[in-house]
Amino acid sequence: MSTQHENKFTTLEQEALICARCGYCRNCCPVYRVIGWESASPRGKITVAKDLYVKGNKNALSDEFIQRVTQCTLCGACNVVCSTSIDLRELWIELRRRIAEGGKNPKGLQDIRKNILDNKNITTFDNQDRLEWAQDLDDPDVAEPRDGAEVAYFVGCVSSFFPQAAQIPLANAEIFGAAGVDFTTMGGDEWCCGFPLIISGYPDDAREFRRHNVEKIKEMGISTLVASCASCYHIWKYESREQLAGYDLEVLHTTEYLARLIEENRIQLNELDEVITYHDPCDLGRNGGIFDAPRKIINSIPGVRFVELAHHGMDSLCCGGGGNLQSVDPQLAKEITKLRVEEIKETGATIVVSSCQQCEQMLSAAIRETGLPVRVMDISQLILEAME
Amino acid sequence: MKPEIVEEIKHKYGDRANDSPFERNLYTRDLAPVPALMVDPLFKTMPDLVVRPANEEEVAEILRIAWKENIPVTPRAGASTTYFDSIPVKGGIVMDLNLLRGVVGLNEERMTVTVQAGTTWSELDDYLKRRGLTEKSYPSSAPVATIGGWFCMMGYGIGSLKYGSLLSQVKSAQVVLATGDTIAVTPDTDPPLSWFAGSEGTLGIVTWLELEVRKLNPMKHFLLKMDSVPEMAQVLKEVKDAPVIPYNLHFTDPACVQGMHALGLIPDEVGEGCLLQVDYEGAEQELDQAEDIIRRIVDQHPKVKMMPGEMADLEWEERFKALRLKRGGPSVLGGEVWLPIKEVSGYLADIAAMSSKYGIRFMSYGHVVTPEYVTVMTMFYANEVNTINYMFSLGLTKKIQDVGFRYGGHPYGIGLWNSPYITRIYSRKELAELRERKKRLDPRGILNPGKVYRYPLLFHPFTFGIGANVMAGLIRAAGRGGRR
Repeated sequence: MSTQHENKFTTLEQEALICARCGYCRNCCPVYRVIGWESASPRGKITVAKDLYVKGNKNALSDEFIQRVTQCTLCGACNVVCSTSIDLRELWIELRRRIAEGGKNPKGLQDIRKNILDNKNITTFDNQDRLEWAQDLDDPDVAEPRDGAEVAYFVGCVSSFFPQAAQIPLANAEIFGAAGVDFTTMGGDEWCCGFPLIISGYPDDAREFRRHNVEKIKEMGISTLVASCASCYHIWKYESREQLAGYDLEVLHTTEYLARLIEENRIQLNELDEVITYHDPCDLGRNGGIFDAPRKIINSIPGVRFVELAHHGMDSLCCGGGGNLQSVDPQLAKEITKLRVEEIKETGATIVVSSCQQCEQMLSAAIRETGLPVRVMDISQLILEAME
Repeated sequence: MKPEIVEEIKHKYGDRANDSPFERNLYTRDLAPVPALMVDPLFKTMPDLVVRPANEEEVAEILRIAWKENIPVTPRAGASTTYFDSIPVKGGIVMDLNLLRGVVGLNEERMTVTVQAGTTWSELDDYLKRRGLTEKSYPSSAPVATIGGWFCMMGYGIGSLKYGSLLSQVKSAQVVLATGDTIAVTPDTDPPLSWFAGSEGTLGIVTWLELEVRKLNPMKHFLLKMDSVPEMAQVLKEVKDAPVIPYNLHFTDPACVQGMHALGLIPDEVGEGCLLQVDYEGAEQELDQAEDIIRRIVDQHPKVKMMPGEMADLEWEERFKALRLKRGGPSVLGGEVWLPIKEVSGYLADIAAMSSKYGIRFMSYGHVVTPEYVTVMTMFYANEVNTINYMFSLGLTKKIQDVGFRYGGHPYGIGLWNSPYITRIYSRKELAELRERKKRLDPRGILNPGKVYRYPLLFHPFTFGIGANVMAGLIRAAGRGGRR
């Protein structure tokens, strides 16, 4: 008999010893499924980590091992099945931290860090251009930073700077406008949430970014923060507690906030004749606990037939875009996306909805390549389409 | 292995053949953390090459090369045992069979599924459940254990009590022999299917199997708590012998319950004592009858307490997570014993006495797998960081097997580490028959050499026994063998 319990992380050394090498983590791991070698499995990586950090075999810190550590989407699927309840996601992040600390991080991850430290965002663009997307709004000024608004919308780097993701903040801003939400953004004062730094092995740098963002939110007198990026949401909800101590901030993902607006009848949805499936972003679902809100939204649209993917909810399959994998092994990321696209194909859906820009980007590219007649949409885009 | 043969296979299989030390090193292990000091001087566990065939033809081709060149071949899939069953002891080729994956066909009229050997039991279950079907039985390591892997082991686990061994559910299989020849086997062929069950990959490599499936039925779960082992054993017998056969029946002894308490894996309200989990599957009427049986048994035993339904449901949900106890280790050692059910009480009493003698908590849980037998896993904590102490602690695993032997039991699975016990597992006649099979199907002994049929010289039961007894004695003298 047992009680349900959370996964634990003590130290890398202790957890590497606790690992039973049972291998439950192999088949759920998208990286192992694509690569197929034992060294690509979570069990294999922990075995080498144990040799290295517990047994002190310094030779184990080989280039091959470093490559394997970075070949991980940090999707957390291994966490769910771990027979000894190890918080494996924490373990991978700690491994990356040690590799970075030893100056052995791959160039791709070092470049991410440099961009973020230099520009305050993951791109090479000037951070003051964060509201470029808003130029397509009827009234671009509506997104300008403003103290005391009802809601602050934390846009995130991808939506702010990647043209293909700009439709997401636009959709959200239009929905907020239609629902009469008094919202604002942080504009050029929004810095990267720090998530890419943490998962690249630079948690100390990330702390500074969280501190900045929290201070700014406090200055603006914001009481509700809504993020449309699953990773930004994760940082605000779970990693910023220290910085937010004593400040009462409600942190919501857009799926939660938009579901609330629908429940309060502030949004009217019209009929859509579509078969829709939902891809759970790892950071929002498995690692963030939000499964119901997006499904509630989709099912509240009249005429929609909702179908689940073979792997969904806690068992959802990663899109391949997590863990900064694209920066170190884009081909592997692509191969993982293909696994997910196969599942999408099996559902017969006409639309696949998600709630993470990165997932949508990965799925869009792969679906385009396969020529599958499926549209990829963010949850906000779907709502907007149903409102029109 | 000749370098030119390594190159030939690498050339043929491209990125599915690997001879890098980094990769090969990971194929020298299974679940058992045995110190290198004890392994390296005796065995060549490092393969010369690891290759991942994608289909039966490739399996055959690799075996033909190995046969011609006399190269040892060790088949491996989930590698989820602890006895080095899938670890080479003479180098050569490790054949990683995980690419032989997926369902080949479902025959709903015959109620059978044909599945590639490298498919895990959980994957098969996902496939079948989507069609309202499920397996008749599966291992308690279903997320990693493969269909072929479990068949080549003993094949008893969850569901075996009701539906029999895996062998009894397999209709046919395809096997590639050591020579590279492929044969179809059924219970009536020569050689028959039964030769390959439990052969641990020493007679051939199974590439697919056709096995019986069943309708996915509703289930009911019950968790009973008793104060003492004898009462648990009595209730277990009554439940097993009742008109409705449980799908799954497993117990947890008082030391194991204590261990789970210590880790917060068990609610305080459970308190001390033994636990007995009873799971039924079937039509609603059968489940109602089963519930009546359990309630009547509980009524007849005033000291037996029925735990809340949600606890029983959770215990069922976590049926694959027996290793959660390892968090209290960090290392765990132990032994799995195939034991007559009627001897469970005596076995657990002797194990408890051993706990007092060595000052170590031996924790046991068991699955009833046939009407007469139970597999009992008895474990204790150790710490592999303390190598010398850990090595001596390995002596205690023999003590566990000795207790099992006293009660008519023997190790479950052989591999390398249980080879000193082969004369306990098989009679002289049975062993001679097994060796004849090996001689007939693999006269050059290239398939998984060093397993099942003979013990290595240093593992002679006499010398092995003395060595293990001395190590256990030192642990006793030291008064510590890991964490109490």
